[in-house]
Amino acid sequence: MMLTPLDLLPDALNASFKIVPAIMVTGMLLLFLGIGYAFRVADTDDLWVAGRSIGNVENGMAIGANWMSAASYLGMAALIALSGYYGLAFVIGWSTGYFVLLIFMAAQMRRFGKYTAPDFVGDRFNSDTARAIGALTTILIGFVYSVGQARGMGLVGIYVFGGDYTTMVVLMMAITVGYLALSGMLGATKNMAVQYVILIVAFLAGLYAVGFTQGYSTFAPQIEYGALLSSLSSEFTEPFSSSSYYLWIATAFSLIVGTCGLPHVLVRFYTVESERTARWSTVWGLFFICLLYLSAPAFAAFGTDLYANNVGQVYGANGMSGAEGDVIVVLASQLANLPTWFVGLVAAGGIAAAIATTAGLFIAASSAAAHDIYTNIINPDATQRQQLIIGRLTIIALGAIVTVTALNPPALVGELVALAFSLAGLVLFPMFFLGLWWENANREGALAGMTTGLLIWTAAVFNELIFATDAGPVVPLYADIFPAVGAALAGTPIVFAVTIGVSLVTDEPPERIKRIVRQCHSPEPMGQQQSAEDVVSASNGPVSGDD
Amino acid sequence: MADNTSRSSERRTDIETDGGVETDGGTVDYLDARVNIFKPSTPFMRDHLKIVWTMFAAWVLIVFGPVTATYLAPDLMTSITVLGFPLHYLLTATGAPLGALVLSFIYARKRDQLDEKYGIDHSTPKTTSDSGAVASDGGSEQ
Repeated sequence: MMLTPLDLLPDALNASFKIVPAIMVTGMLLLFLGIGYAFRVADTDDLWVAGRSIGNVENGMAIGANWMSAASYLGMAALIALSGYYGLAFVIGWSTGYFVLLIFMAAQMRRFGKYTAPDFVGDRFNSDTARAIGALTTILIGFVYSVGQARGMGLVGIYVFGGDYTTMVVLMMAITVGYLALSGMLGATKNMAVQYVILIVAFLAGLYAVGFTQGYSTFAPQIEYGALLSSLSSEFTEPFSSSSYYLWIATAFSLIVGTCGLPHVLVRFYTVESERTARWSTVWGLFFICLLYLSAPAFAAFGTDLYANNVGQVYGANGMSGAEGDVIVVLASQLANLPTWFVGLVAAGGIAAAIATTAGLFIAASSAAAHDIYTNIINPDATQRQQLIIGRLTIIALGAIVTVTALNPPALVGELVALAFSLAGLVLFPMFFLGLWWENANREGALAGMTTGLLIWTAAVFNELIFATDAGPVVPLYADIFPAVGAALAGTPIVFAVTIGVSLVTDEPPERIKRIVRQCHSPEPMGQQQSAEDVVSASNGPVSGDD
Repeated sequence: MADNTSRSSERRTDIETDGGVETDGGTVDYLDARVNIFKPSTPFMRDHLKIVWTMFAAWVLIVFGPVTATYLAPDLMTSITVLGFPLHYLLTATGAPLGALVLSFIYARKRDQLDEKYGIDHSTPKTTSDSGAVASDGGSEQ
């Protein structure tokens, strides 16, 4: 299914310059720039972790906005509309994973309390090589993930400004990069709460308006769309028609462990006041996410029905194209004959979603480059100014590469993003999990495990996307076991086994590292600016006799 | 630099773990307590992991239960209709995300109660965490 060639113009979408939506979207972008400028930062503590000052609901909203990218806002409904029951694997994977993150990792990460995700890998396993692999993976994730966002922004931009796909992608990415290079994490975090409000209001308003005007629903479209399902084409609900049970589980599993390994998600826990805030803000974040994820299937159902009634067949050879699917949320509003300004609002929400997530990803990637690679490995005496410069240069360079790649993306928005998840689930999640929950996991184990994970993922992507022909993947058996979007189901256990096995046959990690891990699990409160390492080195007096 | 004197001094004495064997008498140095997810080494970790594993099992059931049931009994799951939905669709699209949200809330509540039981207070004022802190905000309404 990932091999269908993508045509990049959504035919059914009314693509032309529209004055009111254009003003709305421009105004929104100016607002982001303004907030970013007002909260612009000059020191790295603020750039990376917002001074560790963010509270419960605000961080919850930031988690939501950071999370709900074009993949959620646009891609989710597209996947459900185009691939039916299989699309629900994405709903499940992208929402319920937060629970695993909450019970196993959120508070412990906060206690570990460094700056970036590669920081964790490097410090926990006491290895600059591990830090470098972690940092490169972070940058790779940011890249793959952002390509999906750029595609989403470009497609929606076409509705608002007309023009062609290329111009729109370039324009939108330029705005995102400009705003990020100005504001950094504090500005981005302040913006994320605003972006969340815009995107959720726009999405729900669109859903309610479409449902109400078309007579689908009144007050609870999230439940009322059930009545519509029997009248839709059977592809919409039939289980395992377009994909196997294995692929379904593999996809959901990959997205879940990917959630727990994504650097831009984990860094949100470094920005909060305390570990209790880390926990409750996760609950809030999941609540905010569920608002959208419970609504997306309804939007997909409405959109599918409207498409079938107004445009033509949804499924089959002449059915809905990938580009149309990716804008189905906007398309549904348009097909429901809602006023232009209103459809513009829905489009603006999609752009807000894409910008917020791209911001989070680029910051994670730029801190990986500036903090983890440059400062920790290349130039240990780097000044804050140098770090900021490297960080901003990374943002600009990454922006350019993403823009170029997004001009000819190999898959749907949601699928592109899912690739980043399987990478995170394969390479980073096992390191975070074992690093936090098994004090004997050591450097050699981590290096072996991360290398294994990278190999499995790279092989899956090359096999299924890059070297694949029209006939299918190069090695079909490998694609069956390690599908690119779901490689973590079979792969993550292998990475776990390799990490544990190698750790067992090599030396145990030093006592200092073990004590840091223990501090992550201690219930004792810690100071707001403290990391587990600070506590351990402060208390390194006499090692109290082991009972 | 924050001093960490709050350890052991105000640890409450009422930490009777249920059936625990090595209870350290209420003064645990967590920096000496091994961390292994399958072998909790302190009463706190034991209590915590009990919650974690129970809830994790519930989560697995909610998340992977419906799709597996649909795989095993496709006709049954697709033919039952609730609120217009085929049962498999309702449980997957609505049941699983909502279930995870409810579980998250329950977990955070339980963890707050655990903090209260062990006398942990997160209202650390700025950086200097003094030892006089009392567990006053055990509430969880936010």
